[in-house]
Amino acid sequence: MLETRTHRLQRALASLVLDGDEASLEADPGGPARRQELSQTDQRAFRDQGQAMMTYRELTRLSLSEPLETMFPVLKALLEGADAWDGCLQAFLEARVVGSSQYRDIAPAFLGWLASSGWGQVRWPFLLELAHAELLEVLVARFPDSDPPQDLHDEPTPDDLIFLDPATQVVSYTHAVHRVREEAPVPEARPTHLLAFRNAEGDVRLKELTPVTAALLVRARNQSLAEAATTLNLPDLAPILTLLKDLCREGAIAGFQTST
Amino acid sequence: MAQDRFTGVGLGLRRPHLEQVAQMDNHGVPFWETCPENVIGDGGRDHRWACAILDRDPVLTHGLAISVGGFDPWDEAYLRDLDRFLVRTGTPWHSEHLCFTRVDGNCLHELLPLPFTRDAARHTIARARELQARLPVPLLLENITYYAELGASEMDEGDFITEVLEGADVGWLLDVNNVYVNALNFGFDPKAWLSRMPLERVDQLHIAGHKRFGAITVDTHGADVIEPVIDLMQWTLARLGRPVPVLLERDNHIPDLDLLLAERARLQTAYDAAMAPVEVRHA
Ligand SMILES: [Fe+2]
Repeated sequence: MLETRTHRLQRALASLVLDGDEASLEADPGGPARRQELSQTDQRAFRDQGQAMMTYRELTRLSLSEPLETMFPVLKALLEGADAWDGCLQAFLEARVVGSSQYRDIAPAFLGWLASSGWGQVRWPFLLELAHAELLEVLVARFPDSDPPQDLHDEPTPDDLIFLDPATQVVSYTHAVHRVREEAPVPEARPTHLLAFRNAEGDVRLKELTPVTAALLVRARNQSLAEAATTLNLPDLAPILTLLKDLCREGAIAGFQTST
Repeated sequence: MAQDRFTGVGLGLRRPHLEQVAQMDNHGVPFWETCPENVIGDGGRDHRWACAILDRDPVLTHGLAISVGGFDPWDEAYLRDLDRFLVRTGTPWHSEHLCFTRVDGNCLHELLPLPFTRDAARHTIARARELQARLPVPLLLENITYYAELGASEMDEGDFITEVLEGADVGWLLDVNNVYVNALNFGFDPKAWLSRMPLERVDQLHIAGHKRFGAITVDTHGADVIEPVIDLMQWTLARLGRPVPVLLERDNHIPDLDLLLAERARLQTAYDAAMAPVEVRHA
């Protein structure tokens, strides 16, 4: 069954706003209404108000691209340098993956689309990591608050599990994407492990980790520190315990829990 | 009664001002307006400041997330969160826009115009009634700016708004700047337009700045409010004869808080001047 006229009018406007090939829309603003099998009079309304209809295209695209320009300045600089930013935006908009009504979810939707579509990653294999790294600080800064378990202590022992602060992220990249700038947006190919966390004031801190420390922070969430150290061939736990105690004081680790 | 707490000119609560506002005990703003979807599900430092203000000061809620005139199913999880949020803030009502923002599972993040047709009015009335049934407080709908009519119209904007407000039996968040901008774009007299509208449904006003881009004026919420819009606010308040709250919206080019507070104070003076004869009449 054909949808109601109201629904088809809304679909036609969504097409006019999101579809590619702006030149053909400019030339024929009635096209989206015709493709929705709307009446001649509805098609004429699209045509007669062509310029005003295209204002919606401009405004909506501005709304959807603004958070991307804010969140991904380095990625934008990289793609603009290759004359590919507009094409990237268009491919993203046409994919129609902005499902959430929350404005802050637009940038994560873009990241998700890069991951699922693989857009641009033959040419720029680090693109997804770059976008992830650019979003990382904001995701950590705004991660929803929650209360940690009651039974945590702040002095680690070899029998303990690590309980990270819920906002803390341990990430591993194949490129040093945290070192790029708008003026130099291509990262060096070098395995990189980062700890991103909020301190007591709520400021985001980034720390580069050694591969072993990164692995330990991941493992020791489910395995005691002593067991994790053995698995990772770490002979001396003492310096690790000192580091973990510091990370707890700084806010990356919520506390330690005796493993049972 | 809500009107006792919510009168005068309030301000939209903006992220860059949260910390400062939370730490001020004498900001002089009678109430704030907050966007629930910016607070629900958020966390971190700004979120803590926002919650501190919302728990301390009188608050009205104004959403962008719900596509009232659209066809997408309700986001039940969001509506549950919203219910809790509205109760927590103690807002006397919750407003959304008379528009659609979503199509087939995609959010366009823009206030898009509904067709001025009987079918669209019927659909929107049913949706507004469904939404009202899910909210713990009365629903208000806000008139938007529009730049084109969606499809061939069967009525004008004023009749469409009236039909929806009355059919759904909801209150009106009257944005006087949007009326002014539409009047500029479509060439009508805003006071004549307002004179034939159901003003008895108005529970709140919005006021904001706008900007001209070529042939079209857009409600950017990014500039100071101009005198003709202040005049329209005063005219509307006098006409209403009730001290309904006015909310100054500022979403773009957000100035320092002290400038925004000064802009609010300027509007409060205009508000008080408009209400003075009304108060004398009621004395
Ligand atoms: Fe408004």
